[in-house]
Amino acid sequence: MARTIQHRLQDDFDWPLFLVICVLATLGVVNLYSATSAQTGARAELYIQQIYWLALGGGVAVIVAAVDYKTYERYAYGAYVGSIVALLAVFLLGKSIRGTHRWIQIGSFLFQPSEFVKLTLMLAVARYVQRDTRTSAWTLRDLVAPGALIGLPLALVMAQPDLGTALIVGLVAVSTLSLVRIDRRSLLTIVVGGSAGGGMLWFYGLKQYQKERLTSFLSDTVDVQGTGWQAHQSMVAIGSGRWLGQGFMQGTQNQQHFLPDTHSDFPFPVWAQEQGFVGAVVVLLLYLFLVLWGLRIASLAKDRFGAAIAVGVTALFFWHVVFNVGMATRSLPVVGVTLPFFSYGGSSVLAILIGVGLLMNVSMRRRAL
Amino acid sequence: MELVQKPGLGELRERVRFMGVFAFLAIAVLIGRVFYIQILDSAAWIQIAEDNVLRRVDLPSTRGMIRDAHGRVIAANRPSYNVYVIPGYFRIEGFARFADYLGLNRDERDRLEARMRSAEGSRRFQHLLGRADIDREALALIETHRAELPGVSVIATPVRQYPFGELASHALGFLNEVNADDLREFAGRDYRAGERIGRSGLEQAWESILRGRRGWVRLEHDVRGLLISRDSMAGLGPDRRREPVPGRDLVLTLDMELMRAIDRAFRGKPSGAAAVVDVRTGRVLALYSRPSIDPNLMTTGIPALLSHEIDENPYRPRIDKTIYESYFPGSTFKPFTALAGLQAGLIDARSQVTCTGRHELGHRVFRCKHVHGVVSLHRAIVESCNVFFYTLAEAVTMDRIANMAFEFGLGRRSGIGINQETPGFIPTRAWYAQNYPGQFRIGHTLNTAIGQGNTRVTVLQLAMAYAALANGGTLFVPQLVDRVEGPDGDTIQTFPPTIRRHVAVDPAYLAMIDSALAGVIGEQAGTAHAAQIAEVDVAGKTGTAQVSRIVRDPTDPRRSWSTQRDHAWFAGFAPAQNPEIAIVLLVEHGGSGGHEAAPLVTQVVREYFTRIRPGAPIPSVAAFRARQPQR
Repeated sequence: MARTIQHRLQDDFDWPLFLVICVLATLGVVNLYSATSAQTGARAELYIQQIYWLALGGGVAVIVAAVDYKTYERYAYGAYVGSIVALLAVFLLGKSIRGTHRWIQIGSFLFQPSEFVKLTLMLAVARYVQRDTRTSAWTLRDLVAPGALIGLPLALVMAQPDLGTALIVGLVAVSTLSLVRIDRRSLLTIVVGGSAGGGMLWFYGLKQYQKERLTSFLSDTVDVQGTGWQAHQSMVAIGSGRWLGQGFMQGTQNQQHFLPDTHSDFPFPVWAQEQGFVGAVVVLLLYLFLVLWGLRIASLAKDRFGAAIAVGVTALFFWHVVFNVGMATRSLPVVGVTLPFFSYGGSSVLAILIGVGLLMNVSMRRRAL
Repeated sequence: MELVQKPGLGELRERVRFMGVFAFLAIAVLIGRVFYIQILDSAAWIQIAEDNVLRRVDLPSTRGMIRDAHGRVIAANRPSYNVYVIPGYFRIEGFARFADYLGLNRDERDRLEARMRSAEGSRRFQHLLGRADIDREALALIETHRAELPGVSVIATPVRQYPFGELASHALGFLNEVNADDLREFAGRDYRAGERIGRSGLEQAWESILRGRRGWVRLEHDVRGLLISRDSMAGLGPDRRREPVPGRDLVLTLDMELMRAIDRAFRGKPSGAAAVVDVRTGRVLALYSRPSIDPNLMTTGIPALLSHEIDENPYRPRIDKTIYESYFPGSTFKPFTALAGLQAGLIDARSQVTCTGRHELGHRVFRCKHVHGVVSLHRAIVESCNVFFYTLAEAVTMDRIANMAFEFGLGRRSGIGINQETPGFIPTRAWYAQNYPGQFRIGHTLNTAIGQGNTRVTVLQLAMAYAALANGGTLFVPQLVDRVEGPDGDTIQTFPPTIRRHVAVDPAYLAMIDSALAGVIGEQAGTAHAAQIAEVDVAGKTGTAQVSRIVRDPTDPRRSWSTQRDHAWFAGFAPAQNPEIAIVLLVEHGGSGGHEAAPLVTQVVREYFTRIRPGAPIPSVAAFRARQPQR
């Protein structure tokens, strides 16, 4: 066994994946340094915390990659149940910050279960897909079980409320599930039912500020001082970057505090203003490479579970990037989705790197020994 | 590869390939979007980014000072501290304390709060005036609590200050805030709402010289509007600063000591005017209109109540009685009628008329004040005999009188170049023909000859005309500004005297008139002999101009003061030999010129030649001093 791991590490180690992650993580820390340099106190030190988390996450990823992913198939439901419990615990033990219940305090660390739910749900769906033996297309009835699987954590995250995370959790799970063939009529039913459900949610489920966030990006006359402030200042930052940017640590929008939440939701405009279009495109191409490489790993996976994991992790990256950059460029509503490696967050970094470990795991085991 | 494929793995790969295409397109769209914002649409965003952090802060220029001929400061600037607040950055919970610091009363407090709360959109981020010109105490409070008052700033702006107060205020003018019309009219001159502009007098006429040019600096601010001291915005434009250009100083021809002397002489007289000019240059040494309004009040804004009082004041303090109002000259006009007769060859020094106290013309009777008996031209002027001039007028005719008046600048604007100047009026036959066809009578000429009827002159016009009588016939353009100086005291431009014309009158005739004018005070029978002073011989003519204003409401005590009494004039020059100054003084509704105006003139002249006039004393003053016992 020891010999095989060594063999895999030497011959099948996925260097492109490793390198793109390293580059993104490095750029992320560099940008975080600049983004928080305008802040004072603990916030200015966030980049150091981020390095610690990256180091910790890297170690965890190595372990995650080392263990054959077949093992995870066995524990997928267990992890799922565990994360549901954690989500419930948020409401009981959780720390309320700005009226939301997202965190559980462990020592000085605020643990955010919803970040991990993205992975555990994806694993659970992957296992469900793997164990499925049907040869015909799925009908609505077949979708009830996985629907419930997805719906439960989704509802809990939305109740926190954390719209952005719920969105990503849902999209990652659905992306993973999309590997199965679904009956056309059932699909149509889902689309219609989904639209109706969306409408219900809009009128009865969402709070006013959430609605405003969702629609403000659509209007031409942006209320600069109100809900559109973040997106507007983000546009100003990006737009004033031009080709080469204003230079590292020189972005006026960040330095003079016009951009809010540069360490969480809006690191991209900081990067775009300081590094210009060239820098922005480099980062977007790195993400594109990561996504395409992840899909390549999926298509080369030796089984459905591996492919589903690879698709799930890749979808995690993809949707994060699309929504984060989308809201920074006022192409999508501001829903509070982070940019992997650029946004600060202990739970988030850990979850992402565990995902990378899973991806590496699948990549290294695409060939049978 | 020996892979045992589960069913559907091939189809799964197909799907993953589709996902790849989808992901590629999605990220391509994002890149396109970033390209649009960052490259194609960047100009607008760059502008906003700059406007976000680089706020243009004005560097006000200081308005030039105005000094009198001897360097006394008449108009200067003092700092006024104005408190501004940007509602968008201000924490409204702190409003009560803020209002306390400013010392606002309940009404002002409510109004400011309402304005701050109602500011919407971009107006939330504009400066709003909290209070203008706060005192030192309020300034100290605001500065001490600066940190608790985000969005509050104190801006020191210079405010005009006039150390002499009311004195010469009509000539000086005042400043007030630019209004919408000004902003339209002077669109290219970078006036800004809230800025002050010269509204009348010299302040208005010399606005472009006095004002200077505002500078600005673009300073970096953070999102709360706080100034950032750091100076390192590499990515932003280079045009960061324009230095202000200070306004230039005016040095006037006015002598404020002389103005004070006139003001003292007028003590007890509610209303009147005076002008003193240098007969050798046409420089205006004094231009005095009474009553007047303190320009310091006008500049900071007059309270409504006071403004109402000024409007209702029967002495009309807003009117500049030296150039904006015209009056019947009365007997002060007689020298010009005489000159018209002399120049036309109709009379000479030996011509005589017998005054019986009345002059009959058809069925009308024109009266004289006294029965003068046989009078020559000299006596007619010294004793102010109307009958002599009635008789003369019949021969001279109206147009010859009018032409002589025009020759001396009467009936025409003097060209002093400030405020609105009235041309006055000298009637002609043509004017009567046009306005009163067929109604002209010789009587009109008779009235004109003694400065009544339709004849109207201004105080300044008469002073310029008497200067010409005194200096041998040179009519000058009155000059108020001697030179323009730069902020370092360097002379930028000096203004030489401007001659309007040399009057077409034989100098011998002028000498005859001057000698008669000297007799008005100098001779026992002269109408102003009582006003004679020992130090200086003063020449001139008294005038008692009848007033034909209708009394609208004789029961109103404030109106009844004036309207029935004549205007008292004295127009003359001094010294009688080798004249230096011409002086014209009018006491509105003062009564007799000889009693009410002449003594004021001689008092001013005495003060001028014994105390105010620079240089060695003139011979008569020196001689007078020598006669006085040493103390």
